[in-house]
Amino acid sequence: MGEIVFIALAVGTTVGAGVVAFSKNIVYSAFALLLSFFCVAGLYVFLAADFVAATQVIVYIGGILVLILFGVMLTEKIEKVNISNQALKPFRAWILLIVSGGILIAAIVKTNWITKAPLPPTPTTGELGNAFLTRYLLPFEIASVLLLVALIGAIIAGRKEVRRK
Amino acid sequence: MANVESLRYFLPELLLTALVLAVFLVDLGLKRKKVPIATLMVVGLLVSLYAVLKTPGAEGVTLFLGMVSLDPFSVFFKVIFIVTAVLVTLFSMESDEVEEKNFGEYMGFIAATTLGAVLLASSNHMLMAFLTLELVSVPCYVLAGYISRSRRSSEASLKYVIFGAASSGLMVYGISLLFGVTGSLSFEGIRDALSAGNPGEIIVLISLIFILAGLGYKIAVFPFHMWCPDVYEGAPTPITAFLSVGPKAAGFAVLVRMLHVAFSSSDGAAAYLTDISSVDWPFLVAIISAATMTIGNLLAINQSNIKRLLAYSSIAHAGYLLMGVVALSQLGTQALLFYFVVYLLMNLGAFLVVLNFRSQTRSEQIGDYTGLAWRSPIGAFVAVSMAIFLFSLTGIPPFGGFIGKVYLFASIIQGERFIWLAIVAIANSVISLYYYARIIKVMFLRGIDAEDLGGFVSSPTTITLLTILAVGTAVSGIFWGPIARWVSHSASLFFG
Repeated sequence: MGEIVFIALAVGTTVGAGVVAFSKNIVYSAFALLLSFFCVAGLYVFLAADFVAATQVIVYIGGILVLILFGVMLTEKIEKVNISNQALKPFRAWILLIVSGGILIAAIVKTNWITKAPLPPTPTTGELGNAFLTRYLLPFEIASVLLLVALIGAIIAGRKEVRRK
Repeated sequence: MANVESLRYFLPELLLTALVLAVFLVDLGLKRKKVPIATLMVVGLLVSLYAVLKTPGAEGVTLFLGMVSLDPFSVFFKVIFIVTAVLVTLFSMESDEVEEKNFGEYMGFIAATTLGAVLLASSNHMLMAFLTLELVSVPCYVLAGYISRSRRSSEASLKYVIFGAASSGLMVYGISLLFGVTGSLSFEGIRDALSAGNPGEIIVLISLIFILAGLGYKIAVFPFHMWCPDVYEGAPTPITAFLSVGPKAAGFAVLVRMLHVAFSSSDGAAAYLTDISSVDWPFLVAIISAATMTIGNLLAINQSNIKRLLAYSSIAHAGYLLMGVVALSQLGTQALLFYFVVYLLMNLGAFLVVLNFRSQTRSEQIGDYTGLAWRSPIGAFVAVSMAIFLFSLTGIPPFGGFIGKVYLFASIIQGERFIWLAIVAIANSVISLYYYARIIKVMFLRGIDAEDLGGFVSSPTTITLLTILAVGTAVSGIFWGPIARWVSHSASLFFG
């Protein structure tokens, strides 16, 4: 039973990502991203990472995806964007995809990964909070500086010139 | 070392963080911004430089439970980053490309990039390395597009973001694969796992390639160099100067630390390390190095825009610098650090001339430099300093670039395995002479008798900075002993 669900989630993630990349219609791409994000949340549940799964749903689906959809729907003529780069060669891209994908899959199948016995599903939120404020304190704090800079950067990049009278 | 104890050794980074916040906040309350904010920046940076030099424990401690390490190597790069940021702040005062009303955020981003670079150079953990790489990149994306209403600048920013996002993605994927076979993210943990057993060569090779893609993008090496000319051309000139030294040095710092700590170990002989990953990464890096310097130099030949030319020249220099990584010896690391000292002086100097010329003539075309030496006494001074920087970039004695290259070549020849790389590098130096000399020819040998070239002036600040950088470039080629002693102390920690 678990295996069937896992395979369904994996297929959902990959198919969703494929539609995002290949669909000509950007609205379809945005909705396919929903499928992909949702299945990834499911994969986190399989890894007994309940908090990360919930965050994935709240932040990625509830926040980022909705923002993307707003962006797509509020942009005029987004479906008729002229691609100015004429160097796109689908044939070469397929070759690259098949070769690199083949190598990766072969390597992943052959490798002896470090594995752990599956843990019984226990709440992880407390442990995560502890880890953030002990072992991973510095990255946690640096991430906040990074977010501040990214926020101000987004405002600067997206600002409109305001003329004062 | 535990978190609270570490704070004592973390003062420079705390000061830089405070500086970022202070710049963003002070900016809110000011109408005329340039002078007060630049003063705040310079004072803040100099205070943190003082803190870097005065922080105890510089003999190698790890802070925050192994996240970052404080050692002579990271101290060396911290000094390089902060000095670069001070110079770029002064350059920005001389440039008119950034409007005064946006000056505060602009300076804040430079401070944030410097903070990221300082942390990146001391990262001892993949998570820290990735996070701080982003902290270096994100402000640079915005800075590259800082000229408002400029198509070229927006294009530069957009290209930078897209390439950056793709290579960051590859790097994280590589790190995740490596974690899957080694079970650790800290550099020492990865080394222990790699030397303990056989964790699957192919996966280690693939993850290493992906990690190199992320870092290779930051230092602009082949085949991740495509963004570089467009970004360097479109970005405001002080930012181009900044990108060519600060973030590049940061990328090299973490590359050296990662490859020397996580993928190599000392096998008894004190001055050498051996590759323990069983994927022969020195060979891979040697190929990248040869390709990078050749591509950079060949593409530089036909450029007519001086910023593009210097972009290709900086790609070529990334190739030369990689030789110091390939050598995997104390001499190699020493050569790399030495080259960064002179590269900072000569490259920032060349960009200062470009900036000065642009503010006088609104041009970045090499053809417009015709007869610069004959326009006015100041023009002659600027042309002579430019000649010093360009000769040094070529690697002609008696300038610092020559000594730097001698060290790099010596480290490769001493290693004996990659003699061909030294030959490729020498051939490349000859090619680079051609296009550097072309600029010098245009400045000195053309337009001697022409009447209508117009005058040329520079501000006192520009003249002072040019004098300092040109004298530094020349002196480092004659009395290199003190620099050599400093870098050999800084490079020693990975060995023995």
